[in-house]
Amino acid sequence: MTDLFGSYETGGDRFFDEVFDPEGRTRPHYRALVARLRELNRDDLDRREGIRDRIFRSQGITFTVYGDRSDEGVERTFPMDLLPRIIPADEWGHIERGVAQRVTALNRFLEDLYMGEQAAVNDGVVPRWLVHTADGFRREAFGIPVPHGARCLVSGVDLVRDVHGVYRALEDNLRNPSGISYVLENRAAMTRVLPVVFGRQRVRPVDHYGPSLLRALREVAPPAAGEHPTAVVLTPGMYNAAYFEHAFLARQMGIELVEGRDLVVDEHVVYMRTTRGLERVDVIYRRIDDDFLDPVVFRPDSALGVPGLLSAARAGNVTIANAVGNGVADDKAVYAFVPDLIRYYLGEDPILPNVETYLLWEAEQRAEVLSRLDQLVVKPVAASGGYGMLIGPHADDEEIERFRTRIEADPRGYIAQEVVSLSRHPTLVDHAFEGRHVDLRPFAIAGETVEVIPGGLTRVALRKGSLVVNSSQGGGSKDTWVLDESAPEPEDR
Amino acid sequence: MLARLAENLFWAGRYVERAEDAARMVDVTYHTLLESSSAEVTAPWGQLLDVLHLRAVYGDRPVEPAAVIQFLVLDRDNPGSITTSILRARENARSVRELISSELWEAVNNLHLSLASRDLRRDLADQPYELFGMIRRACMGIYGVASETMPRDEGWRFMALGRVLERAEMTCRLIDVRYQQLEELAGPSRRLTGGDGARPRGADRADFHHWIAVLKSASAFEAYRRRYRSSMDPADVVEFLLLEPDLPRSVVFCLSGAMHQLQALSQGGPSRAVRALGRVTASLQYRDVAELFELGLHPFLDEVQERVADVSEAVADEFFRRHPSGLMHAIATT
Repeated sequence: MTDLFGSYETGGDRFFDEVFDPEGRTRPHYRALVARLRELNRDDLDRREGIRDRIFRSQGITFTVYGDRSDEGVERTFPMDLLPRIIPADEWGHIERGVAQRVTALNRFLEDLYMGEQAAVNDGVVPRWLVHTADGFRREAFGIPVPHGARCLVSGVDLVRDVHGVYRALEDNLRNPSGISYVLENRAAMTRVLPVVFGRQRVRPVDHYGPSLLRALREVAPPAAGEHPTAVVLTPGMYNAAYFEHAFLARQMGIELVEGRDLVVDEHVVYMRTTRGLERVDVIYRRIDDDFLDPVVFRPDSALGVPGLLSAARAGNVTIANAVGNGVADDKAVYAFVPDLIRYYLGEDPILPNVETYLLWEAEQRAEVLSRLDQLVVKPVAASGGYGMLIGPHADDEEIERFRTRIEADPRGYIAQEVVSLSRHPTLVDHAFEGRHVDLRPFAIAGETVEVIPGGLTRVALRKGSLVVNSSQGGGSKDTWVLDESAPEPEDR
Repeated sequence: MLARLAENLFWAGRYVERAEDAARMVDVTYHTLLESSSAEVTAPWGQLLDVLHLRAVYGDRPVEPAAVIQFLVLDRDNPGSITTSILRARENARSVRELISSELWEAVNNLHLSLASRDLRRDLADQPYELFGMIRRACMGIYGVASETMPRDEGWRFMALGRVLERAEMTCRLIDVRYQQLEELAGPSRRLTGGDGARPRGADRADFHHWIAVLKSASAFEAYRRRYRSSMDPADVVEFLLLEPDLPRSVVFCLSGAMHQLQALSQGGPSRAVRALGRVTASLQYRDVAELFELGLHPFLDEVQERVADVSEAVADEFFRRHPSGLMHAIATT
């Protein structure tokens, strides 16, 4: 029988390999899995891939990709690799503390910025001009309260591992992070496709996400809502790329999935239109961007939003989660200051380091960056989804010159970062395992306290050598197992 | 529940019913004509367009069998074609995913995917029986899954309501169109109805074939045979399809089903929809079929169709769009 790992190349000293150490030995927490997979042959894997594809397609677990040609998007499944990613308990403890720390500090910063005295800005921790020129900054959010200051109710902090295996925070995603539905669906599929492999491990469950999210949403309800606040999920509608997830979350929580046209504001109170009349709404988990939320305040042409919603929120009659204006902290230049914000607001050292980031309005840093653009990554501060980036080592001269011109014209608009050689993980490609780059997006829920869901979404760059893992750019995903060392050893089945 | 979602479920019910009806009727028409001795093969297709209420959409294209079949099965520009109906049913189901069972969503989605992945033109040329069988089984599977997995909540009731109202209108049109056609076919020398509104006489052997097709179009042939044994009497067929309280596709059966759902939905409160439905149901129940021929079958059926359409309008006013903006009357939250 051929060994499916037969021709597998570990990253050596160029990449950190999640499964094998540089000498090719299986890391301890992967031993059971690798041993089991070595018993499988090509036909077994093909059959299991077939089962997986049927599960995803028939359940319609898809996202929509919009091309240039037609206005109708294409529905794609987000391919889940058969090989799960495993995180041992101690490593997870580190991640969990680090993510909770970031989210706590960012909530403090945003609450202080929009509701408080702006201490971090006044004390010069973050430049005022930088905050005010951030794409996601919304002066309309001043004075809109969020109970417990849980402005980032859901965050999806993107982590990458450098060549030494150190987890670094790459983005905080404090607006509308998506992907949690894949975490839950991947897990459900994995237990069906490889039940024996799964049953032998002590994996921490993830399916309490829905109840946890609902609990947090209720915790941030306005005081006037009473004991049984009504929460809803607000979606742009079924043509949105992440609609599947919006519906999924509403179902997991057992609450209504509403569109803007289902809501109406009267005397600063929000209601939904039901078959029995108007019903008051207390908390809105919105999956609509700030700009489309309320045509009275933001884009007047938005048909997705609810006229008067912001005034209702400002009156304290409804809570909008995530809060309006969080995008200021998603600005990639403001990101560079997060370690300082952690020290400032919490008096702690950051647990998860940032990726080394250069601020291009600083003449010295800019000069250095421009002199070695071919070694760096350059990103527009406001973009997401992996669009508009320069990856220096993979770019040709023409592209590098284009970015040089752009940076010189708008140094505030870009940041540069050292290339992080994302860790690699064996991934099933054409009947054999090959190393592919991965990242990790754990999800944190903040209400009265911060809870990090064990695991998160591991995204895989399916194209060989690619460092871009975004679903819109041909990425896939992996079920992510956090091992529970306190649980009893499962019996051999 | 949200008014918009209630409306979407109502329409999901209608669309699946529409697709199933279309599949059954095209199937029956196609296979009846294969055995037909008559040289006239285009008229039945034209009448099918009338039964499905798609004559206007079809327009003045020549009524040619292959063209009509394609129009009814796979034409995406035809809002009533089977593929469009299933596509719309799926869109509606997708918008209410969090309200319906996963099994139900998968059943609707699988039918859509199956239609999208097939070469429908080839299936129609090659093996239409198999294709229509698949569509009908899948639609019934959708009902079955819905019935076995959904609690009898508001969502279920709106979906069931959409389905029976669609079916009531469909059966009405089936009787109306086919009766007129067969009367014409019979010719003035042996009219189906007596000159003074008496009961029509038994069908001639030559017409049997067509009456069987009418019954099959409503999945009622076998039940009819058991009930009426030997006779094939146009009046009996009309009575059976219109007034039989126990036949799942009879108009009376559908309207009683609609009443059951509507009463639960309006919770005994004053309801225009219940009143409208009650009136049209009463005009049919306890009716002797001979009276209908006296009144004139066609004008009577016309009126029933109009009244059923009124019920749908009343349902929409009452449940789906009862809040013109600016008119606020909040109810207590629970």
